[in-house]
Amino acid sequence: MNKRSTTVWIGYGALLGLLLTIPLFTDEAYVFHILCLIGINIIFACSLNTILNIGELNLAHAAFMGIGAYASTLLVMRLSFSFWLAMPLAMVAAAIISLAIGFLTLRFKGAYFLLFTFLFAELVRILLSNFWIGLFGGIPGLTNIPRPSIQIPWLFHLEFSSNKDFYYLILVMVVITVFVMRRMDQSRLGMVFRAISQSETLTESIGISSMKFKILGCAIGCLFAGLAGSLYAHFVRIITPADFSIHAVLTPIAYVVVGGMGSVFGPVIGTSFLMILSHFFLREFGLYELLLYGVIIVLIIRFMPEGLISLPRVISPWFGKLLTRE
Amino acid sequence: MEITLLLQGGLNGVMLGLNYGLIALGLSLIFGIMGIVNFAHGEMYMLGGYVAYYLVGRFRFNFLTTMIAGVAIVGLLGALIEKTLFRPLTTRPKQALTSLIAAVGLAWVLQMLAVICFGELDRNVPSAFKGIIHMGGVVITKERLAAIIIALVLVSVLTLFLMKTRIGMAIRAVAQDKEAAALQGIQVSRISSLAFGIGCALAGAAGVLMAPIFCVSPFLGGEVILKAFLVVILGGMGSIPGAMLGGLVLGFIESFGSLFFTVPTVNAITFVLIIIILIVRPQGLLGHE
Repeated sequence: MNKRSTTVWIGYGALLGLLLTIPLFTDEAYVFHILCLIGINIIFACSLNTILNIGELNLAHAAFMGIGAYASTLLVMRLSFSFWLAMPLAMVAAAIISLAIGFLTLRFKGAYFLLFTFLFAELVRILLSNFWIGLFGGIPGLTNIPRPSIQIPWLFHLEFSSNKDFYYLILVMVVITVFVMRRMDQSRLGMVFRAISQSETLTESIGISSMKFKILGCAIGCLFAGLAGSLYAHFVRIITPADFSIHAVLTPIAYVVVGGMGSVFGPVIGTSFLMILSHFFLREFGLYELLLYGVIIVLIIRFMPEGLISLPRVISPWFGKLLTRE
Repeated sequence: MEITLLLQGGLNGVMLGLNYGLIALGLSLIFGIMGIVNFAHGEMYMLGGYVAYYLVGRFRFNFLTTMIAGVAIVGLLGALIEKTLFRPLTTRPKQALTSLIAAVGLAWVLQMLAVICFGELDRNVPSAFKGIIHMGGVVITKERLAAIIIALVLVSVLTLFLMKTRIGMAIRAVAQDKEAAALQGIQVSRISSLAFGIGCALAGAAGVLMAPIFCVSPFLGGEVILKAFLVVILGGMGSIPGAMLGGLVLGFIESFGSLFFTVPTVNAITFVLIIIILIVRPQGLLGHE
């Protein structure tokens, strides 16, 4: 292990340690509520990033999160499955539907795929709001979704009923997600995805079926969107069709772009930065909150199109200049 | 079913369709030239509506002045936005995505600015044309008739401009191939600004036309952009007749559909129909590969 990777691992360790010890500093339910939401959004942003990595933008990504959320909720509430079984099943459901959609639509190029996913997102919202109301609950959605718990007879019983307890569950899931994303990014699979996003024709010329890998990338992304949906449903305990509409995907896209597309930690940084900004700092500005939020996003994109992750690279020449001047 | 009811539905469909077409035309023009999916397009329509609200409603300007002012204000704003925000992004990697998010951010900014400046209430805009016309059994208000006629005039003028003038030809050349157009001595950056301005101005014009018929509110843009997307998908990206045909199809579906079914059913049918069209003919009804 060389010196650089040692420092990197120490950095990860310190960050994780800090996140684990947050409960020692504060007890406020609001803080943990926001932290949990940030975690769920990080998982969602990472999954969105997987699809951006193959060079496509999925405007229906929130709909896949919705599919995960509704699947998990219905399995738990109607068929009284355990959350720990319903969650993976919800992930698989989202992935399977994305496979079907992928086969149909990934042959479209560029804007047409985007437009199709837009239609699909709206169709899912309309179906969930107006049809089979007995099952899906219509526009008001489903309420009183139970929080998960672990129960091993005679050994222990763990309820994730408080926000603080749920925070640990989310933290574990975020770490798993980021770990998987990082492994994938460094593997051959990640390399194929990047190759496809740069030039599909060239990738195919060396014998890689870009269609196959694009469908696969989409399914992996939707798998984690399903995870985010399932966690969201059991954390917030109310889901409505509007939570997963086309507008619900625009904010996470902003997280990814502001953080830095294509890198593993870009979405993590972008989500944390923008959500902490909007929930802890911009609240004071009332009416101007959303305005400032929009202005900040536009400015970051205008002056730092590669995202916050490129900040050290953008700043370092300035420091260089300062140093040489002395 | 009475024949007059059908005619009435048809007229409403034409009015809705032409205006959807106007909005989508701008969206499609901007996409064709710059490859940007302008999410802030609905906000341009909203701004057009507010121009009508202030000029007609507050200051009692006549219609022609309002229309010219609406087109000029929204068009200039569009050109300015292109120059300051979108053009610097065109040379960067993953331009399509970054500019999409920039447009989303811009839409939020414009929406909140509208809330702050104009208030968040729905506003009624008095019409510059008062009275109704009876044609057989069909009744149409003059403002709706005006909306139909003026939309037709605008589309014809735009078509003539794009087909016959040198600048129009330059715009079409840039849409086909940027490098080849630049080699012919066309200034691509200037054409981009112009096309963005024209695209936004079309949405602004539709806003001025529709403001007296529906209300204006700062949150109009979101719904309008959804409609414009549908129209563009139906008609095909970058096609003028496609945008108008797509607009009319959507206008008729909405107008006739609501005569026979409930609104959610109409919406679901519309979406399934458009998805099928997209799967069979991804380039839209009149689009090219």
